[in-house]
Amino acid sequence: MTELLEPTPASAAGQQTPHSLSTGAARQLATTTKTVPHTREITPRWLLRGLPWVDVGAGTYRVNRRLTYTVGDGRLTCVTTAGRVRVIPAQLRELAPLRDLPTDEPLDSLADAFEQREYAAGQTIAAAGTPAGQLFLIAHGKVDAIGATQHGAASLVATLAEGDHFGAAQLVYGGEWPHSFRAVTPCVTLALTRQAFEQQLSASARLRAHVDTLQDPSAAPTQPVNKYGEAAVDLASGHRGEPPIPATFVDYECAPREYELAVAQTVLRVHTRVADLYNEPMDQTEQQLRLTIEALRERQEHELVNNPDFGLLHNVDLGQRLQTRTGPPTPEDLDALLARRRKTKFFLAHPRAIAAVRTQCTRRRLYPHGVEVDGTPMTAWRGVPMLPCDKIPISDNGTTTILAMRAGEDNNGVIGLRQTGIADEYQPGLSVRFLGIDGNAISSYLVSAYFSAAVLVASALGALENVELGRTT
Amino acid sequence: MTEVLEPGTEIDEQRPSQSLSTAAARNLATTTKSVPQMQGITSRWLLRQLPWVQASGGTYRVNRRLSYVVGDGRLTFTNVGDNVAVVPGELRELPLLRTFEGDDADSTLVAVAERFTQREYSAGEVIVEFGHQADGLYLVAHGKVSKTGVGKYGEATTLGVLAGGDYFGDSEIVAGGGIWEFTAKAVTRCTVLSLSEQSFAELVERSEALRAHVEAQRSSAAPARNDHGEAAIDVASGHSGEPEIPSTFADYELAPREYELSVAQTVLRVHTRVADLYNEPMDQLEQQLRLTIEALRERQEHELVNNHDFGLLHNADMSMRAPTRGGPPTPDEFDELLAMVWKDPGFFLAHPRAIAAFGRECTKSGVYPTSVDVGGHKIPAWRDIPIFPCNKIPVSENYASSVLLVRAGEHNQGVVGLHQTGIPDEYQPGLSVRFMGINEKAVISYLVSAYYSAAVLVPDALAVLEDVEVGRED
Repeated sequence: MTELLEPTPASAAGQQTPHSLSTGAARQLATTTKTVPHTREITPRWLLRGLPWVDVGAGTYRVNRRLTYTVGDGRLTCVTTAGRVRVIPAQLRELAPLRDLPTDEPLDSLADAFEQREYAAGQTIAAAGTPAGQLFLIAHGKVDAIGATQHGAASLVATLAEGDHFGAAQLVYGGEWPHSFRAVTPCVTLALTRQAFEQQLSASARLRAHVDTLQDPSAAPTQPVNKYGEAAVDLASGHRGEPPIPATFVDYECAPREYELAVAQTVLRVHTRVADLYNEPMDQTEQQLRLTIEALRERQEHELVNNPDFGLLHNVDLGQRLQTRTGPPTPEDLDALLARRRKTKFFLAHPRAIAAVRTQCTRRRLYPHGVEVDGTPMTAWRGVPMLPCDKIPISDNGTTTILAMRAGEDNNGVIGLRQTGIADEYQPGLSVRFLGIDGNAISSYLVSAYFSAAVLVASALGALENVELGRTT
Repeated sequence: MTEVLEPGTEIDEQRPSQSLSTAAARNLATTTKSVPQMQGITSRWLLRQLPWVQASGGTYRVNRRLSYVVGDGRLTFTNVGDNVAVVPGELRELPLLRTFEGDDADSTLVAVAERFTQREYSAGEVIVEFGHQADGLYLVAHGKVSKTGVGKYGEATTLGVLAGGDYFGDSEIVAGGGIWEFTAKAVTRCTVLSLSEQSFAELVERSEALRAHVEAQRSSAAPARNDHGEAAIDVASGHSGEPEIPSTFADYELAPREYELSVAQTVLRVHTRVADLYNEPMDQLEQQLRLTIEALRERQEHELVNNHDFGLLHNADMSMRAPTRGGPPTPDEFDELLAMVWKDPGFFLAHPRAIAAFGRECTKSGVYPTSVDVGGHKIPAWRDIPIFPCNKIPVSENYASSVLLVRAGEHNQGVVGLHQTGIPDEYQPGLSVRFMGINEKAVISYLVSAYYSAAVLVPDALAVLEDVEVGRED
């Protein structure tokens, strides 16, 4: 081996005078090789790469769907003040029986009629087969609904979490609990007993009138719907002879959702002196523009995930939101997520959530095969790649969400929207316009990116919620 | 069956040989000779896998966006016997004291360093507990400390592992009067230095400069920056109507880091008589040169890993270093590394013994990672990222090593190797062999020089798993 000659302190101290030009001095003559400016902010932006982009003609994209009669139960928001939990009165309309209540007036006292109940992990909240008579809202915690299989074994029907509720129909129509409900974690619930509900009914004539119409089966108009709540298309099949064949039509939503392209903008300023003179070997304006566009594209991905209007996290249908069974993202949870839709193209998860999935696989002695996406190896589950995206938020207590989606206009999936062919286009859907030079000799460029995302059919996008990271067990 | 005839001694002595012996025959025949072999040659995967970038002019400047450093280095400790003390100047690594300057700043830091009290914790002992009053600043001098917090539904979540040189409680001591948001527990035997809130308050009371500094820290607003500490590029999005659009520019670091090409050199000497005459069938000079170059290349790889200036082990950002939780490298820890370099990870680099230790852990967890094909070689891999062996990564006396995860390439802001091609008398890219002359003793000298360096373009391109135990028996 060769020996490395360390410059000894003695020679550095000047005992040995240099005989030739030092590198430090030589560098004053030589040209340094320079890199373009680098930034840590740039990510692979897999969401922008994975989404198929559809060109929008005039700034608006309308998603026409079949007419749907909403049966949906929303989620209710509860507020906690000094340990007391209370449901926001207007949110009670998310309960199916109260959705069409003509007036807001009884809701306030109805919200006060709920009593707070806390359950420890593992405690049964309601047992199957016993008479139901209470409405439960989950303010915090997770609850398993447990049914029975044909042969009497327990089966997990669903996992409910914050904002979910159960027992509303039984409270109005009476009956038994269809499933058992058991607290998975420590739970805080709000319960409305039949007694309290009767008191409310006698206190408010309007509420009683509304509930009476609900309980009268002849009063409720029943439209034929398919299992997704869409107006049914009547068909006859398997018939013999000459029965009358149903006449039908496919009804559409009268007010379909329209997506307007959102914008991310900034004004880039470059001093003319910098732009004119300091251009060797790199064009200063171009580099400024490159970094600005990167920042804009990062913001674009952030908005596609988080925007309250069109962001994917906010556009997941409530029926497509699943809860983790135990906390960390397990293979079982991913299978449940995959079972909800056909042709899932990819999962989208925070890199730490992907690490948590891998950990859980290792715990189960599994080593899932990777797939290649654009030449990059990706961890996959059942052949569906998990694309990393650091824009999905992680809450303070370490919970996040994993998204799964079907992509493409042909598949009724999730699509990205943009408009190409805009004036001064620099990249597809992104324009750089010269604004002029001001009195301080600073030239300004307006950099705008136009984009949005649309979910064509509700089942195209699913989410696994309350994914806990860093669980030790 | 054939019989093996042992050469009997009496036969040789009694009878004269009837044909030419092999020993005599060898005098006429030509021996087939191998080229000189060398044990020091390794596969040098790092040199093969790093993309090499031309650094003309001998210097490579890495321009980056302006960053406001949060200052989260590691502290250094000195010990006399069992007494451990923090080096006072090192206290500036704490975000709280980073910009603490002034006439008597150094003496104040000495006073602060003296107020720390030392405590030993045995494995499993709780150092601070969740929900209790935050009571001071803790420096981990030696050992490993795990931080666990409380998850959404009240169960324990791992927040990370602290190793020697790390600290906690610095933000709590500035804010004052808070509670611990986590439980810190000793994983191994630990030596911890602590500064109680009281002592800190006394110190602040006593020193005017320190008080002013802490007050400024409490009230100062940080400049606008993105998640990575870089000066923010202001962007407005999602607006409708005509709000004012922010004006912006991307600011650069004013003193970017420059990498000078390093050199590995040697003078190769060959006697003219050897070089002139003994050249059949192999050129003596060429063989001498070949072995010298192999040794130089080995040294080059060693320097790329270990050099204090540009070596990968020393150039990993502090935030990109993670100690192992238990000791041996487990699949979970490799996954953690992959979560750190999640943007297009290129390859792992580990000592062969660390790879073996990782293989053992995989077997223990019951997973069998598939290998990948790299240029016709089967390379062990984890999550389809190859793990290249590199025996230049040091294994310490107590069998601890490191594992590197590298994103390579200039276009994806990774790690690049630097060299300069087109140098005079170039023999291989970035390596020159120059004839120096023949001296009075008829010895020819050649100067063999290799020029190289390595640069990490963006800090998140390189992560290190530290304290990897390679010889754990359990």
